[in-house]
Amino acid sequence: MTLDKSKLEDDILQFVGSRIPNHPELAKDTDLLEDSLLDSLLLMDLIFQIEDRYAIKFGSDQINPANFRTVSTIASLVLAQSNPQPA
Amino acid sequence: MKWPLHSRPIPNSEIPLYNRYYLHAPKSSHVDSTLLMGTEINADPLLSFLHDRNRGGRVIITTAHALVRATAMALEKFPEMNVRVVGRRVYAFREISIRMAFFHRRNRDIDILLIKAANQKSLEQIGREVWERLLQAGRGEGARDRDLARMRRVPAFWFRQFMRIYAALDRNFALPAVSRLDELRGGSALVNDLSSSGVPPIRSYKPSRFPDDSDSLNLTLGPAENKVVARADGFESVRVMPLFVRADHRLTDAYQVGKFLAVVRDLLQNPQQLDVADSRASGDQ
Repeated sequence: MTLDKSKLEDDILQFVGSRIPNHPELAKDTDLLEDSLLDSLLLMDLIFQIEDRYAIKFGSDQINPANFRTVSTIASLVLAQSNPQPA
Repeated sequence: MKWPLHSRPIPNSEIPLYNRYYLHAPKSSHVDSTLLMGTEINADPLLSFLHDRNRGGRVIITTAHALVRATAMALEKFPEMNVRVVGRRVYAFREISIRMAFFHRRNRDIDILLIKAANQKSLEQIGREVWERLLQAGRGEGARDRDLARMRRVPAFWFRQFMRIYAALDRNFALPAVSRLDELRGGSALVNDLSSSGVPPIRSYKPSRFPDDSDSLNLTLGPAENKVVARADGFESVRVMPLFVRADHRLTDAYQVGKFLAVVRDLLQNPQQLDVADSRASGDQ
């Protein structure tokens, strides 16, 4: 399955936006950690939403600030995970 | 099979008289040994610290991880509080292990995890361990989750009988931990982070107690809210978070609970202290 990053970002943005409706200004490059938008409940829900939808699996070592800083970085992580580079 | 408690109880002569007064009170007295104390912490330093850690760290760190670490560090300073009642005797725990309540996404339920020897782990190690368990629980793939699933299928009648027998045994005998379900009894303190659960500002909170009496302490952190405070040079708006501790008068008294709470509060308000012993933590990558 080939994923389109823009579509992926839209999906993630929609999901995150549905969970924090009081932040209509949420964008793909909004810093979710700096703005304290990503709490542990939302993070877990987001991870499992992505895992279910895109048939990928995250490891605990991937739950780091670089991967979950913005919608865009999350989309990049999903892409990297679904198209692993050969060693 | 693991023994979470030291084999010998704390000698009666070392237990303060007032604690013994509660410890040996007859059931007919309907004595309530629950102590509850609440305070507020200035949340700005903690939230700033977490922002800093989450700018470049290798694990996302939350208030829950900070609370686990602060509680473990405080228990290190107050080892006499890392104890539990068994029967009418008091036993000390072998390690400073902290239980943490979390939302079990798959079961839509609350579950508990245990951070063993939490005083010897860095914030990063605690964070990684917690995320690992949350992922496992969400997928229902951990061995504990299989045990929980089996436990859910037990009919109410048998569940009640099991609880009565097990809790009675555990309240009266220093039992070993023999399974993934009862290994949670390995820590005297349970922490509860309600700061991000969508609850409104909390003014009071009295957590319940495990039926087996094994959790002597409970620390709960509530959500941040803005408050205007008076400073020497005027008024200022700061974020505050409520912090509650529930303790047991058979094991401690209000004076000691107050000092313990002050240490936890100080650690959370000066969170750089949570990193102090990180270098001691083993296996930190």
